[in-house]
Amino acid sequence: MGRQPKEYELIKANLNLQAVLKNLEEVVEFDPESAALARTWEEAILFRVHHGPSGHLVFRDGRCTVGQGKPSRPSIVLFFLSPAHFNRMMEGKAKPIPLKGFSRLSFLTKDLPRLTNRLEYFLRPTPDLTKEQSYLELNTRLTLTTAAMAVSVLGALDPLARLAVAQVSRGLVNLKVLPRGPEVWVGFEGGRIEAGKGAKERPSARMEMKGYQAANDFLNGRLDPFTAVASGQVLVKGQLPLLESLSLILDRIPVYLS
Amino acid sequence: MKTYNYFKSQDLFKRAARVIPCGIYGHLSPAPLVPPASYPFYVDRAKGSRFWDVDGNEFIDYMCAYGPMVLGYGYEPVDSAARKQAMAVNCATAPGPVMVELAEYLVALIPAAGWVFFAKNGGDVTSYALMVARAATGRKKVVMIKGGYHGVAPWAQLPGNHGLTEEDYLNGIRIGWNDFEALEKAWDQNPDQIAAFMATPYHHPTFADSELPAEGYWAKVEAFCKRKGIVLIIDDVRAGFRLDLRGSNEYFGFKPDLICFCKALANGHPISALVGSEALKSIAAKVFYTGSYWFSAGPMAAALATLKELERIDGPGLMAAAGQRLTGGLKDLARAHGFDLKVSGHPAMPYLRLTDDESLMLHQEWCGECTRRGAYFTSHHNWFLSAAHTEEDIQRTLEIADQAFKAVKERF
Repeated sequence: MGRQPKEYELIKANLNLQAVLKNLEEVVEFDPESAALARTWEEAILFRVHHGPSGHLVFRDGRCTVGQGKPSRPSIVLFFLSPAHFNRMMEGKAKPIPLKGFSRLSFLTKDLPRLTNRLEYFLRPTPDLTKEQSYLELNTRLTLTTAAMAVSVLGALDPLARLAVAQVSRGLVNLKVLPRGPEVWVGFEGGRIEAGKGAKERPSARMEMKGYQAANDFLNGRLDPFTAVASGQVLVKGQLPLLESLSLILDRIPVYLS
Repeated sequence: MKTYNYFKSQDLFKRAARVIPCGIYGHLSPAPLVPPASYPFYVDRAKGSRFWDVDGNEFIDYMCAYGPMVLGYGYEPVDSAARKQAMAVNCATAPGPVMVELAEYLVALIPAAGWVFFAKNGGDVTSYALMVARAATGRKKVVMIKGGYHGVAPWAQLPGNHGLTEEDYLNGIRIGWNDFEALEKAWDQNPDQIAAFMATPYHHPTFADSELPAEGYWAKVEAFCKRKGIVLIIDDVRAGFRLDLRGSNEYFGFKPDLICFCKALANGHPISALVGSEALKSIAAKVFYTGSYWFSAGPMAAALATLKELERIDGPGLMAAAGQRLTGGLKDLARAHGFDLKVSGHPAMPYLRLTDDESLMLHQEWCGECTRRGAYFTSHHNWFLSAAHTEEDIQRTLEIADQAFKAVKERF
């Protein structure tokens, strides 16, 4: 389906805000270096994108929380002229317009980039990097989180993903990296999708990936779903049409995020 | 009771995955067989109602190759007819006389048929049927049922599937089964644009119960289509020759303009057929549609032999009776174990579902446990009975199912 550039940038901005930046939560929790960086930060950053989404990063008590809309009492407000401006910022090609928090410039220009550089490091795997188990695990965790959050954005905004959502009336899918790896859930209800971290009770379908390597290969499209399931690298149960729709939506992610 | 292992199947699959997309693609993909570890992936040989996989495991087959097997694997009268024909000629530069004999037989057998067109697969004839409808009406759109399946041509696939363009599915309108008002609404929203209404004679989706037509549904649909000049196409690919040899529409008491047949037509030999009303014959003749193997004489001889055998033995009657005995026995067993097993659809091709778990996971486990003990059940698709399923098969199946219920009861 033909996409207008503005629509593309808008979808991408939503994905960057809700799916990519969301991974800062994981990086601060699971990467010791990132945890050390953020340990003493007490900041609430509002991203406002003109004709686009708004979202926030909150650093408090050594943790990072990423969400939609305005945080309470933002210490920093960053404005973007358009979704394309925000996307260029995410690519390191543009700067935001600070509207509040001029006294926090050092945090914005020195401290925060150290953390976002760590995120970028974990989001750009190479074959050599993924040979190291701790890297593989965190990269897989981030990919799974991105996938879940991206599904909810795409299900609302991407025309082809919306067609896939329309095939499903309702249902809940739990996705997990076995045996004790990260889990996410995706819920379909009345033409809408929600997603979150962790598992929900009584899912309509389950998708369980046998280990971090299988999960990484599967989520990054190096393993097609049919082969993965038939060979037992990915275990599926329950209402499989939900998983088929989910798979179609997941396949839309690379259109926007490489 | 022994449970099966599938080492050779799995080794073969690993080789397949290196050189074939998906390893095994399409409707035979193991992906919907949950869990795949309970299912064989490759068949070595088959006879009657049974097949043996490459690991030597024996199965009573309740999928019948997803429909084509209707008299039994290796059914001698059919195979010898095909062999005899093929030894004379199969695929040649002109068709054989058997093409005429088969067409005449089908026209005599099927009241709705004024003519016949042969192809290879069900999807060939559903696509041809749509083309004929478009040529006859000058209209583009086709109304289909949500959850219905008419093959894999782009027009028949769901919007959003890989490999499709917007133009491929823009002319498809999907409505609910048994929802006559939705058909009227589709017409009101697309006046004079609907070329065809295409549906199976009753609704047999995957992952959901089958649904028979409501009282008066087909009469209303048939009358509406006549009034509005919509070509009524019945996709009898799956149900054809199992409910009624004259066409499943006869079983439900209505007369379509076009009927698509495949699967059971030739007991597994590759052939499909579109039959149509006399009124559509000359426009059908104007639609150019063909295929290299569509005139092959061997499958035509097999089809003729299959239809004659089915008539001789009352194949539909045998299959319905076997289906009743099987599903009745399974329901009783389920109840005895504290489960509720729902049976829907026609007895010759029932869909079963353990209702105790809405997610289908319990049902998937039970079907898997039955399969790895030798009764091949799928959890996502209707089953098929054949004229080859014997009382001994059914008794053995019930013993297997009993053990499978015990196995899943421990886990659920």
